[in-house]
Amino acid sequence: MARDGVVLEIDSVSKSFGALAALSNVSLAVQAGQIFSVIGPNGAGKSTLFNVVSGLHVPTRGRIRFRGRDIGGLEPEQINRLGVAKTFQITNIFGEISVFENVRVAAQSRVRESGRLASLWRLPDVEGAASELLQAFGLAARRDEPAENLSHGEQRYLEICLALATEPTLLLLDEPTAGMTPGETREATALIRRIATARGLTVLLIEHDMSVVMGISDRIAVLHFGEKIAEGAPEQIRNDPNVIEAYLGPPDA
Amino acid sequence: MSRALTWRAVLVWAALAALPALPFMSKFYLLLAFDALLFGAIAMSLDLLMGYTGLVSFGHAAFFGLGAYATAVLLERGIVSLWVCLLFAVLVVGLYALVVSYFSTARRGIYFALLTLIFAEVVYTFFRYTQTFGGSDGIQGLPAPSLAPGFAIDTPLRNYYLVLVYLGLAYLVCRILVTAHFGRVLVAIRENEDRARFLGYNVQRYKMAVCMISALITGLGGALYPGRSAFATPDLMLWTVSGELIIMVMIGGLGTLVGPVIGGAFFVLLQEKVSSYVDWYFIVIGLVLIFIVLFMPRGLLGIRGLLGGRRWRATA
Amino acid sequence: MDYLVAVLLPQLLHGLVFGAALGLLALGLTVIFGLLGVMNFAHGELYMLGAYAGIAVIGLTHSFWAALVVAPLAVGAIGALTEVTTLRPLYRREPLYGLILTFGLALVFREGARQIWGGDMRRILPPFTGSTPLLGMTYPNYRLFLLAAASVLLLAIWLFFTRTRAGIVVRAAVQDAEMLDGLGVNVPRVFTLTFAGSAALAALAGLLLAPIFTVYPQMGVEMILLAFIVVILGGMGSMGGSVVAAFVIGLAQSLLTLWMNPQRVAIAIFAIMIVVLIVRPRGFFGREGVLE
Repeated sequence: MARDGVVLEIDSVSKSFGALAALSNVSLAVQAGQIFSVIGPNGAGKSTLFNVVSGLHVPTRGRIRFRGRDIGGLEPEQINRLGVAKTFQITNIFGEISVFENVRVAAQSRVRESGRLASLWRLPDVEGAASELLQAFGLAARRDEPAENLSHGEQRYLEICLALATEPTLLLLDEPTAGMTPGETREATALIRRIATARGLTVLLIEHDMSVVMGISDRIAVLHFGEKIAEGAPEQIRNDPNVIEAYLGPPDA
Repeated sequence: MSRALTWRAVLVWAALAALPALPFMSKFYLLLAFDALLFGAIAMSLDLLMGYTGLVSFGHAAFFGLGAYATAVLLERGIVSLWVCLLFAVLVVGLYALVVSYFSTARRGIYFALLTLIFAEVVYTFFRYTQTFGGSDGIQGLPAPSLAPGFAIDTPLRNYYLVLVYLGLAYLVCRILVTAHFGRVLVAIRENEDRARFLGYNVQRYKMAVCMISALITGLGGALYPGRSAFATPDLMLWTVSGELIIMVMIGGLGTLVGPVIGGAFFVLLQEKVSSYVDWYFIVIGLVLIFIVLFMPRGLLGIRGLLGGRRWRATA
Repeated sequence: MDYLVAVLLPQLLHGLVFGAALGLLALGLTVIFGLLGVMNFAHGELYMLGAYAGIAVIGLTHSFWAALVVAPLAVGAIGALTEVTTLRPLYRREPLYGLILTFGLALVFREGARQIWGGDMRRILPPFTGSTPLLGMTYPNYRLFLLAAASVLLLAIWLFFTRTRAGIVVRAAVQDAEMLDGLGVNVPRVFTLTFAGSAALAALAGLLLAPIFTVYPQMGVEMILLAFIVVILGGMGSMGGSVVAAFVIGLAQSLLTLWMNPQRVAIAIFAIMIVVLIVRPRGFFGREGVLE
């Protein structure tokens, strides 16, 4: 772990696309083992924040520190190797290969040979790790089917499996329950909480579903038009007038 | 090694080795067989790029032609040791492939297609208009290369066995690659390049590696060609040749390795028959490509499930 | 000073015209790729067919102006037909197939033209001759017309993409093809019309340039290679980038021809591309965050 147990530190980060300021001076710190949610109306900049942390974008201003190390401007694969894994809001799996092969190739990125000459002829054994993950998410029964044949909810789980297979310290979940039924959402929420605790993960979560957010988060930050307008424990946020206004509009509107 | 080699492959190879014993195998047919196996191996190496990694190379003929010219240039000067020629070809093609693959793999797959085409056109233009290399006539009248002093590869029979060894080795290399960690990552890159990056893979490095390996196998094939033809010309590097290589892979079935070998052989034999209709030839190639893409994307083998019905979405 | 005026200036103007034609081709490639996800290897052939269609129409009507109207329409129709029959089935498949298919189409068009019209170089006579004194030199009237026509065309296209609803939609869709689904547009029809439109534009460029260059079946090949270089330099997602890069390459090509023979010019342009790629791997206007 890093100093003070802070795993991720977003320090006055701004991100602009031309004239559009997607993020303005956002700062927050995520402690080890926390489940930290980022919420806000559409267009608030939540996905941009994730994209900046995971390496898709370079921050226009400010710094991002992961376990004390500055990661702003690094390539996505480098950031992943340091221990940050992201899931995608729109399911982004390897469609035509089997579920098992999906997770297996994700797990393979962590073997010693990966990226080296030996990878040309060696075949590492990550079958166990891959099977275990599938088991944890209830996908073991579907392991040999092409990933694209999975139901939506199962694919969302597969997304998380892929991210977890890379043995991250910090997990970025981008609307993991998007498109799930209420039942599936409840299950998923419990599962995420269980696995995060079991593996000692720190989780940064984007969610729209308030029941998920309130039920699972240790801490919440609220973004609106690219700025952080509130941060605190769930009860605080629930009652914060600024937050209510951001979602529902000004009183008497 | 068992994961790389099947009994079936060994048997087929042995059968091919016995082929010259058949009564009708005249010199003409031996040379035809040479071409079939040579281009089969080259198509197989292209399958590494196309079938496994999802990258289409529209300039693969340049690797072939460069290998041929490398050998030709040495043979012309009286350096007839095959080993030296092959080594030189590896150097020349390797250097070119390094540059091409570096620029072609830096961005999305589409740039790979465009840049391989552009690079190949430049190489063709260079050889076509440079008199040192014979211009449009190329380098003609070459002596045969030798395996050892006194043992020249100067008969169709010897050339045939040479290319058979080449095919066998190339097949081994491809099979090992494809069943290793490397091969699986290639498939992942093909399926979803972005996701692979976010899983920690340095995608460009893998793409460069597979491009160079494919280029070197092809270049070595090219290096063997002047031994059979006694010439090297710019026409070996025409974009139409690159197109023909693509057809070979498509006919045989993407992502099967063996399919393209058969596709290559099949195409060479077909071309032999059709070549009398030279005028229409390119239209036929174009139509064949269109037809295969629209109606037989899995190639002859894919559809008929000849070789155990492997899915084209090959994984180890 | 005389050199400047008599040699350099005309070549500069010529480079602008050539750049405009390249820009039309590159724009077509960029729009089709962004919208349909297909890199149209046959685009150079559509350019070539425009010139040959022009020859056919002129043969019948003896009117260049009639050809200017009919030829693009004819090639546009061919484009529409091609899109519906061969490209449409491929949209759901891996992009690899589209590449190979259009490569095959290019072969068929090229050799088809050679079969129909022969491989010899043909000429289209400019609709009017004579020169005009301009800035101290005399410049052929037809080339002046070309300059004007190219400017009008580019302006019209710019207006289309920025002021009309259809154009704005297409432009946005080029950046993000999925957005079309949510808009309630008839997507297949948009695709076909776009492809036909870009084919017509390519044909128009081919016909307009034909009186200056000779017409032969391979004429599209050189243009498409340059168009590819333009697209690589301009950044695939950027339409404006394509146009800017087209003018850069067009001018470079035109000016370099003064000092080198054609093969060297080709290699020089290629070298320019390499240098730019080293310095700015994403091209002039490549977009960040697209994992280009």
